[in-house]
Amino acid sequence: MLLQMNSITKSYGNVTANSNVNFTLQKGEIHALVGENGAGKTTLMRILYGMESPTSGEIVLNGKPVTFENPTDAIRHQIGMVHQHFMLFPTFTISENIVIGREPSKGIGFDRKTAAMETEQLGKQFGMPIDPWKKVADCSLGMQQRVEILKVLHQGAEIIILDEPTGVLTPLEVKELLIAIKTLASQGKSFILISHKLQEIMDVADRITVLRDGKVTGTVFSKDTNAEQLSRLMVGRDLIHISRNATEVGQAVLDLEGISVRGSKTKPLLSDVNLHVNEGEIVGIAGISGNGQSELIQAISGLLKPDEGMIKLLGQDVTGAPVGAIRQIGLAHIPEDRYQWGVAKDATVTENGLMGHTGKHQKYGVLGGQGIRQMVSEWVERFGIKTGSLSTKAQYLSGGNLQKLIVARELAQKTPFLIAAEPTRGVDVGAMEIIHGELLKKRDEGGAILLISSELTEILKLSDRILVMFEGMIVGELNAAEATEEHISLLMAGGRAVG
Amino acid sequence: MDKLLQFGRSMLQPLLAILVGLAAGAIAIVIVGGSVMDTYAEMWKGAFGSFYFFTNTLSRATPIILIGLGVALAFRAGFFNMGSEGQMVLGALSAALTAIYLPGPGWFKLVAAIMAGIISGGIWSAFAGWLDAKYKMNLLITTLLLNYIATLFAGYIVSYPLKDRSGSAAMAQTVMIDKSVWLPKLFHGMSVHGGFIIAAVSAVLLFFFMKFTVKGYEIRMLGGNPLFASYGGVQRGKMMLLSMFVSGGFAGLAGSVEVLGTQYRYIDSALTSPGYAWSGIMATLLAGSHPLGTAVAAILLAALQTGGMGMERNTDVPLEVSSIIQAVLILFVSAKLSYSFLKRKKARS
Repeated sequence: MLLQMNSITKSYGNVTANSNVNFTLQKGEIHALVGENGAGKTTLMRILYGMESPTSGEIVLNGKPVTFENPTDAIRHQIGMVHQHFMLFPTFTISENIVIGREPSKGIGFDRKTAAMETEQLGKQFGMPIDPWKKVADCSLGMQQRVEILKVLHQGAEIIILDEPTGVLTPLEVKELLIAIKTLASQGKSFILISHKLQEIMDVADRITVLRDGKVTGTVFSKDTNAEQLSRLMVGRDLIHISRNATEVGQAVLDLEGISVRGSKTKPLLSDVNLHVNEGEIVGIAGISGNGQSELIQAISGLLKPDEGMIKLLGQDVTGAPVGAIRQIGLAHIPEDRYQWGVAKDATVTENGLMGHTGKHQKYGVLGGQGIRQMVSEWVERFGIKTGSLSTKAQYLSGGNLQKLIVARELAQKTPFLIAAEPTRGVDVGAMEIIHGELLKKRDEGGAILLISSELTEILKLSDRILVMFEGMIVGELNAAEATEEHISLLMAGGRAVG
Repeated sequence: MDKLLQFGRSMLQPLLAILVGLAAGAIAIVIVGGSVMDTYAEMWKGAFGSFYFFTNTLSRATPIILIGLGVALAFRAGFFNMGSEGQMVLGALSAALTAIYLPGPGWFKLVAAIMAGIISGGIWSAFAGWLDAKYKMNLLITTLLLNYIATLFAGYIVSYPLKDRSGSAAMAQTVMIDKSVWLPKLFHGMSVHGGFIIAAVSAVLLFFFMKFTVKGYEIRMLGGNPLFASYGGVQRGKMMLLSMFVSGGFAGLAGSVEVLGTQYRYIDSALTSPGYAWSGIMATLLAGSHPLGTAVAAILLAALQTGGMGMERNTDVPLEVSSIIQAVLILFVSAKLSYSFLKRKKARS
């Protein structure tokens, strides 16, 4: 056995993040670690990577017990970690990013040529070719992921921890990454893979360990299990299959006519976008991220003024109107990037929940105390948001729990129109079920929802109509009934619709 | 209980900084050949030793509190207002000129003078905000540079057109303000005046404003994450002008009460040479922009300064020692990084 983590327990005060967790890893194995948000996956891996020390329990590496004071210790023991958010210097070249900390030198100078040669060689050796002189800022996210993995390999890692590695990648990049992982494993590297995406895990992992509430609920071979069993282990019960009822589609709530946003580059960010969303309808926007979805969301919500065209919400012209005014007319908005737009990290759960709700909790401009806390604690209950208290700062909530808070806040606006951008990004299956259920409920009650997601399964599951965006244009419209994954994928990649 | 603990924790760092500051001061005292205990005893006496000295400290703290509150508000909203000095000077000049030249009864002139001070300080500060909103000029730089324009303009006004030519001394100052417009002293024969009450009430009001009003909430969210605020419908431009106006208004108020309560005329460089504005910024930093904390920190800094003067009067140790203590204090308060490093190390062992 290459690695054994024996009865690891980690508590913070009265909160137990890991309780008696056993985890093993063989040489050349891909071992996936799954569980809901806050189940303790990340804590366990932080312990292995020397970022936290366990309250009790031991780590045995190659038969010898070890303790890691910090990540440098872990790296010395050939353990490497690729974090969910990339840690690269965008203005440096690929090779500079890979050799950082162990730069080849010539005298007292940094030997760039040798570094480039070394890294190019490394890429070839592991089947992940790179251009060593390219700046990281000019690379796609898939390429950046590759650089992160090569960096870890250059450090000499034998055990590689990947935290949510496919979250930001396009379907094609995901495929490439999974192939690369398998190739490396066949060369003797061992992987620990943290992920929410059960299908990917079933494809790539040899073994799967499931955590729930800090405890291991099962370690299974992937060939002996299926997605249903895994979700049962994760959630502790069977998932309810959400069914969509047919609804009467009413009048247009949102109407976009010829919206264009020029941007600073030569290509327009949005060009001549026409779309409408009716009462009782979820319109899905599929597309690889970066094809104008962000600008579309910002234009509708008032954060970006379009150069041409007109936006109507409930019959009123809201083109270029201030955000507050548009929200007042009837827009709520689950933002695509929760940390950038959705919260203030230093503010408390209550304060973050209050945004957009100040109007009904005030008298002469003074906020009314109890009603606010009551409102937020109701959400915490209904969505199962795991938080220390209502006064906990948002930065201490896990990503999924924060997302639930944002979704709860925006649904509670009870507006006729909702933008739901990546509503379940980084969220576990249990929470995803809740969020999807709430979105469908809103639709059934006559709400109009514009759903923007890079997850095709989500689009297919929820949408009544599907629009596909490519390079700032709507390149196809499909009915939910007739849409197939293949057809949408083709449109997403720039292939024109046939007929 | 939880809140108490939290408060205690937030006070720990400033207290630690004060201790380290005093230790550094002790080293300086030893180097210049003084006795540490005697010197600190004199310093204590100079700041709090008698009712007279205590009220003197409060009087010095008055403009520092008000400026600190203004800077704290701007900091909370995410803006660096480094222009308190200019805003204070313009406020003081406007208050003095209003008090001298406006006709009417005394109380009316007093209120008008204070209002004029607040408005002119506020406009000067909001002007910098407008330059940022309109032309994307960096606030840190514009507020800092506008200080020079304001102080030199005020200096010109009292050196040439509106100079007091009645007295024999050729000082650059306005004529005396009529006694009916003076802010009353709180105690007979003591220097502390009504401005201190204004400052204390302002601190409490600002605390409630930030914590319990919609606007205060929006300002805090704007400072916490500007994109989050604008996503939620807070208008950054409008909010910036508002918070910069109020921030500058506090500085203008500081200038006004200093003129109406202590000096009774605008004297060139009487407000700038004691460094009220910079002490105010320091008080804000010391208290992490908490309004009530800022007031406490302002009194502490004023005590260091008045105590330093007492020390210089009665010992051979020079006034600069109190500056050393202040400097070390600020250094350690801003060194949040090293502190969290210590904490992490402790957690590991």
